[in-house]
Amino acid sequence: MSDGMQCSSPARVTRRFFMVTSGAAAAVAGSPAVLRAQAREVKVGYILPVTGPLAFEAALALNGLTLATDEINTGGGIKSLGGAKITLLPGDTQNKVELGNSEASRLIDQGAVAIIGPFSSLVAFSVRQVTEKNRTPFLLLAAVADNLTEGGLKYTFRMQPNGKAMATLTVSNMFEMAKNANVPIRRVAMMHEEGNFGTTMGNHVEAFAKTMGYELVQRIPYNLRSPDLTSELSKVKASRPDLLIVSGYYGDSKLIAETASKLKIGVNALVGLANAAYSNPKFIAENRELTEQLFDGNYWHNPQSPRARAVFDAYQKKFGATMSNHSVQGYEVMFVLRDALERAGSMDRDKLREAIAKTNLTDQILTQESIRFDEAGEDIYATPALIQVQNGKPVVVGPAKYAEAKPIFPVLKWKG
Amino acid sequence: MTWGLLLQAVVSGLLLGGVYGLVASGLSLVFGVLRVINFAHGSVMMLAMYATYWLFVLGGVDPYLSMVLTAPLFFVLGVAIQKVVIEPNRSSAEHNQLLLTLGLALFFENLALVLWQGDFRTVKVSYSGASFMLGDALVEVPRLIASAGAVLVAGTLFAFLRLTDVGKALRALAEEPEGAALVGINVPRIRAASFGLGSACVAVAGALITPFFYVAPDVAESFNIMAFVVVVLGGMGNLVGALAGGFIVGLAESLGAAFLPGSLKLLVVFAIFILVLLFRPQGLFGGSRGR
Repeated sequence: MSDGMQCSSPARVTRRFFMVTSGAAAAVAGSPAVLRAQAREVKVGYILPVTGPLAFEAALALNGLTLATDEINTGGGIKSLGGAKITLLPGDTQNKVELGNSEASRLIDQGAVAIIGPFSSLVAFSVRQVTEKNRTPFLLLAAVADNLTEGGLKYTFRMQPNGKAMATLTVSNMFEMAKNANVPIRRVAMMHEEGNFGTTMGNHVEAFAKTMGYELVQRIPYNLRSPDLTSELSKVKASRPDLLIVSGYYGDSKLIAETASKLKIGVNALVGLANAAYSNPKFIAENRELTEQLFDGNYWHNPQSPRARAVFDAYQKKFGATMSNHSVQGYEVMFVLRDALERAGSMDRDKLREAIAKTNLTDQILTQESIRFDEAGEDIYATPALIQVQNGKPVVVGPAKYAEAKPIFPVLKWKG
Repeated sequence: MTWGLLLQAVVSGLLLGGVYGLVASGLSLVFGVLRVINFAHGSVMMLAMYATYWLFVLGGVDPYLSMVLTAPLFFVLGVAIQKVVIEPNRSSAEHNQLLLTLGLALFFENLALVLWQGDFRTVKVSYSGASFMLGDALVEVPRLIASAGAVLVAGTLFAFLRLTDVGKALRALAEEPEGAALVGINVPRIRAASFGLGSACVAVAGALITPFFYVAPDVAESFNIMAFVVVVLGGMGNLVGALAGGFIVGLAESLGAAFLPGSLKLLVVFAIFILVLLFRPQGLFGGSRGR
């Protein structure tokens, strides 16, 4: 996951390219009413950091949105709206708060029935006010900060797990696995980057200790630019933890795994928590030996779902790459919207909002039973999967229901 | 507290400190002669790391060997920066020169972002993961080489300043710019040489860091701020001070990490920084005059 993460980001979309394509889309969106009357369309706005430091991740999410939109449109559009086709209205936030706000306003003015985005929690926090004021449904993509659904908002919905769900469910999954393996976990160490993302995760892991009955023997926030973390990891090693949990971005998480390996850190497993590297295919491919049997708790797709397999094939065909978890999120959120549009049978934003609130979507590709929203707009079933790198591939090993492989635990190489 | 942890912290601190010292030497040299705080120093190092990376990926040149190419190349780049950007603005106010180097840093960083994207790249050499145990302490070979290399380079630079004519001219300029001009030293040329040497220094640092770290457009941020702390600590313009300051900062950082809770380690470093500025603004080892 990793909202706001700064990892591996080839800026695929140049600003110029984005302007050209968005200009074309805007031209379509602004076509005369006569044309629109013939083929009805539903305008859906997305705001993503298409250029800037998160461009790579944004492109992945956008691929998912596009894939879903094409699937819906070729399948006959929104049937309850007379087969209206979905048109994506593009917005670029460059990962900046002020642009998030202005782009959301612009898209709403252009007639978007809902806004999807914006990846970073910081931008999301501010855009909520724009969408709320304009009574426009706002489907959060990738952003996980807990406070985004706080404050009695009516129009903000989040399909993915928030920080709390991400942390506590990942820890629960690990404990479940340890219990099955008869290797109890009593001592837990946590390292996290000291920004908002890492600190949130650290707080949850600390707060959860009493409930789960483990001792948090070390909690080390670190600067993600630290050129050396040997002393920190020696301290972790000296506290003899059974488990080391790492919430970090790309370069720092890599440094931690490498140093832990050299220090023979002696844990039963190294576990990422919403880690930007540990289940990242690029990281795994470039560090085969190091990454083997690493765990990560992250949002993911359900590998047991035949539909997920079909979607992955379609993605591979369209984009020539393996679908990533960011793309899965983009894809699924569009289907949440389609489901609501079908039930609303209207392009009225308030009616659409009511329909989203009543969502109970079981035909979906995530590692959860269904997608349903509570009062605050949080998906009550949202669950991260527990992923382990096995034979150079990230596979789901928990929760058991969705597992595609048995977890390898304890991980002997970390025991040293 | 265990001895093992203490030993590890000391070893890690010394290994890291050498690198800080090397990055800081170039900065200190430029400041000593030009009286310019060069904010672009770190981004020049970043460019050097990319040069090292590409030489390795495209030409199969070992990172350590690549110094032979990158150091002269970055000397020329440094001279060019001085001649084209800094020198014409010598007469303008000091804060303008400072902003100029800051602008240069932003320019280089964004140039790298455009050319090579935000990807984290690593040079995979056979010895990247090499390490051994010294008692209870882990010693990573590439970090050891970097730290030892830093001492070697600083020593060479020191000898160069003491023993060669250009070196003596550099020192003369640092001590007394007007006097240096009066005795017939070609001042603009020596200024260019100092910027060139500073850049070559940081190019060597970049080559030494690449085998154990990653390369990315914003990689300099990991070393840049520390380099400034080191320069202040060692005394602006004092090379030996820069190296010693590097070791002090490295040790403070790793001991802080080992024995203080949370992310207090940087607090220790910056507290030292402020204390030195307050009570010994010329640095622990004296400024360029005390060299």
